[in-house]
Amino acid sequence: MADKPSDLVQGTLDMLILKTLALEAMHGYGIAVRLEQMSKGVFRLNAGSLFVAFQRLQRDGLIRSEWKATENSRRAKYYALTEQGRKRLNSETREWGRQVAAIARILEAS
Amino acid sequence: MSLLRSMTGGLRSLFRKEQVSQELDEELNGFLEMASEEKIKQGMSRKEALRAVRLERGSLEVTKEAVRSAGWESFVETLWQDLRFAVRVLRNNPGFTAAAVVAIALGVGINVGIFSVLNGAALRLLPIPRAEQLVSVSQIFHRRTIRNTHGETSMFSYSEYLDYRDHNHVFSGLAAYEPFLEGSLGGGKMQQVLGAATSCNYFDVLNEHPAEGRGFVDSDCAASGENAVVVVSDQLWRDTFGGDPTLVGKRITLNRMAFAVIGVAPPGFTGTEPIPSAFWVPITIQKVLDAGRDRLADDNMSWLVMLGRIRPGVKMEQVRADLGVIAGRIDQLQPGRTTSLAISTATFFGRPEERESLIPVALVILAAFGLVLLIACANVANLLLARASARHKEIALRLSIGASRWRLVRQLLTESLLLSMFGGALGSLLAFWSFASITQFVTSHLPHMFSTLALNVAPDFRVLAYALALTLVTGIMFGLIPALQSTRPDLNTALKEDGAKSGRGRKSGRFLRNTFVGAQIAVCMILLLAAGLLLRGLYYAQTVDPGFEMKDVAAAFLFPKAQGYDENRSTAFMGRLRERIAGLPGVIEIAQAECAPLSHDFSADYFTAPGRSEKIAIEYNHVSPGYFSVVGIPIVRGRGFQPGEEPNSQGIIVSESTAQRLWPGEDPLGKTLREDTGREYSVIGVTKDAQVSHLGDVKTPYLYFPAGPQDNVRTYVLVRIAGSFTPVAKGIREAVRSLDPDVPVDVVRLEDYLDVWRSPSRIVAALSGALGALAVLLASIGVYGMVSYSVSRRVHEIGIRIALGADRTEVMKLVLEQAMRPVLIGGVVGVAAGAVVSHVLSSMLFGLSAHDPIAFISVPLFLLIVAMVASYIPARRAMGVDPIVALRYE
Repeated sequence: MADKPSDLVQGTLDMLILKTLALEAMHGYGIAVRLEQMSKGVFRLNAGSLFVAFQRLQRDGLIRSEWKATENSRRAKYYALTEQGRKRLNSETREWGRQVAAIARILEAS
Repeated sequence: MSLLRSMTGGLRSLFRKEQVSQELDEELNGFLEMASEEKIKQGMSRKEALRAVRLERGSLEVTKEAVRSAGWESFVETLWQDLRFAVRVLRNNPGFTAAAVVAIALGVGINVGIFSVLNGAALRLLPIPRAEQLVSVSQIFHRRTIRNTHGETSMFSYSEYLDYRDHNHVFSGLAAYEPFLEGSLGGGKMQQVLGAATSCNYFDVLNEHPAEGRGFVDSDCAASGENAVVVVSDQLWRDTFGGDPTLVGKRITLNRMAFAVIGVAPPGFTGTEPIPSAFWVPITIQKVLDAGRDRLADDNMSWLVMLGRIRPGVKMEQVRADLGVIAGRIDQLQPGRTTSLAISTATFFGRPEERESLIPVALVILAAFGLVLLIACANVANLLLARASARHKEIALRLSIGASRWRLVRQLLTESLLLSMFGGALGSLLAFWSFASITQFVTSHLPHMFSTLALNVAPDFRVLAYALALTLVTGIMFGLIPALQSTRPDLNTALKEDGAKSGRGRKSGRFLRNTFVGAQIAVCMILLLAAGLLLRGLYYAQTVDPGFEMKDVAAAFLFPKAQGYDENRSTAFMGRLRERIAGLPGVIEIAQAECAPLSHDFSADYFTAPGRSEKIAIEYNHVSPGYFSVVGIPIVRGRGFQPGEEPNSQGIIVSESTAQRLWPGEDPLGKTLREDTGREYSVIGVTKDAQVSHLGDVKTPYLYFPAGPQDNVRTYVLVRIAGSFTPVAKGIREAVRSLDPDVPVDVVRLEDYLDVWRSPSRIVAALSGALGALAVLLASIGVYGMVSYSVSRRVHEIGIRIALGADRTEVMKLVLEQAMRPVLIGGVVGVAAGAVVSHVLSSMLFGLSAHDPIAFISVPLFLLIVAMVASYIPARRAMGVDPIVALRYE
């Protein structure tokens, strides 16, 4: 582990979870591991914030859940993107890109 | 969509808590298992792995708590917890709970009750179908216009009504009526009743179709002075005509005219005025009914009330705009006239004049009742404060183990809201249950005319909303300050020992308690001062000298014209009647007058004094020569009227203050006054001032004309009697009956008219006396509670003082002194505020002086004594403290 895991930029966790689910339905631990892998260990998520986010996304209708068996034949709750969630992911990704570009421009200007 | 899903998600976790929690458990366990399996694969032992996962990911319980408290349902859950806790706390302190609930119930109950009365009087819609579509229209004259008025100036003339009716685009129908039409039933059913003369679409616009027969149709109103038809009320039909099923089609006699009954109004329909109507006649019959006065033809006569039913879908704005156009056009036709319209959904007491007199009265009443609630609130707040210091340790403990202050305030507020809810519900139920009969009791003591006032005081949504709002405000009002006070983070002292016994917390707690008591005394003082002033006003009204002789005078009111008599027949009738009355035993002298003194019968006109440009409104009376000696008003200059003098003789008599005002410093005899018609009169005599028109008022200019034959059609006969009133009254009634059994006569003592003037102040005095008594009761309970609490808290200290040799009376003095300090401060504030309030009151009620010394001395003294007694009783306990017991107390 090179660096200490850092905190997420506020409000981005939802977007990252949606992105993780864009390819396939996953269970909670899978999502956590995938996020860590993809961020190369920069983000390490504790269960609290992760599951609060699941509940929030589910109530907003962006993801749905289903109990299924895992590859290790254990029972786990799988989360999948809804149509609405897919739309939200697209719009948030676009918005994020715009903001990052803008911030980068400001930071490089000086 | 998403809101709905969030709702269902929340509800699911609320109501299927077990299942949701299990699912979460399983999911989280799975998550942690998978994480630790990973670690085990990397070579950790199981125990190490579990520990590492807990460190990295957080423990199961913390995570569960985080997930659970993230949704809105957690708010509901804590609320539920708070409520259960509050119920438990209240149940464990039954004495405290009962005292608080009773105080709140009293305070909220009387307020809800009085609001339901005001609501019934002026806020409720008219009791007719789809009343929300019905609007009342009034006009307000902006410049001082000379306008003939029969009723109120804001009413309309017949031609104006026709204009609005025919040219508006917003009403499905516009009705007009003359309210309070007096009628006397003839044909062996002698009875005075009130009715209305209405436009012929009246029942259609109101959507009140007669239960029997029919309502008016256009042909009933086709020609002026024709078609004597009548619709009678259900009550008149039942009470007077015994529910005669064949009444429709028969003829009844009203004011000596035969009317054909065409319908019986539906049960419960009593017209559109607060005083129920017994009958309705077409507006066009007015000229015949009130012979000689053709109001229909007078375009400058205010006498009709207008009610319109809005077409479906039309907005109030459109109504205003549309009618405004018509008003503007009428204004243009008459130079110098500017009016605006007052348009509102129709209610009782909705006309501008009525509102103007009702609103200030209603505000004063609501304020007075609100003050009693305030005293009750202060009582409960003091109870809560006292209890809070007993619970200080519990609260400090909860604060120290990490409860947030907001969380504790929320819980304490939940408790006080629960209390106020109980109290408010109890009080409101009592109010709903009792105020109908209280109102009936009060209205039955009003002057005759108002005794049948149709007030619906049953609770509607407005009353319920008021009760709820009042209850919530009450709960927060008495709960917030104690809650904030007792949760002040002051952990150290509180935890070290019983916080109530030392430290800053106690001191400021006492300050607050004293403030509450002071405020109670101040508010109570205001209410009592007002009550005292009103009682003094009542006493004054009972004993006032109106400036003329009321005793031993009988007054008989006769209205021969209402029975179809013309001037000649009336004069002959009255001549014979006077002869018979004069022959009755016990009659000393008789006189006739157009208006009996203080009978609420007024006439006024505009006059000019030559050489002065302004017009002066002067009230007048037409009197026979004997008038001045019968009612005992002395002539101070010139002479009285001679027999045979008539208005044409052009001699008038004015009152002293009128002469003073018109011709200051000059001899009024021989001076002239010009009537609006151009007729001139000259002053032949001056009377002493007397309050003949308005009790307590001699300033209004007043003059007398000699009575002529035209005054016999409607007249008062005033009789000075020696001995008992009853046989003379009987004799007068018999004399009238022997001349014509159909002419109604009303014989009263002249003093009885005084009663009408006095009854408002009597009712107000009784009401304010009752309120004041309630206020004193609540405030003295407050003082008692405060003193007994502070004594019980200081038993220890007092014990030490006594053990060290303090004199018991000294201790008593100390306790009383401390108790009386807030009382005195509150009292001074209350007297100051009372002085302001009395100014407002004295402008509203007759006979009140704003700075009545007797009220301002006796009331504070009384309250002081009450407070002394209330603090003396518990303070005696301080004297009885046994030092040995007190020191062992801890």
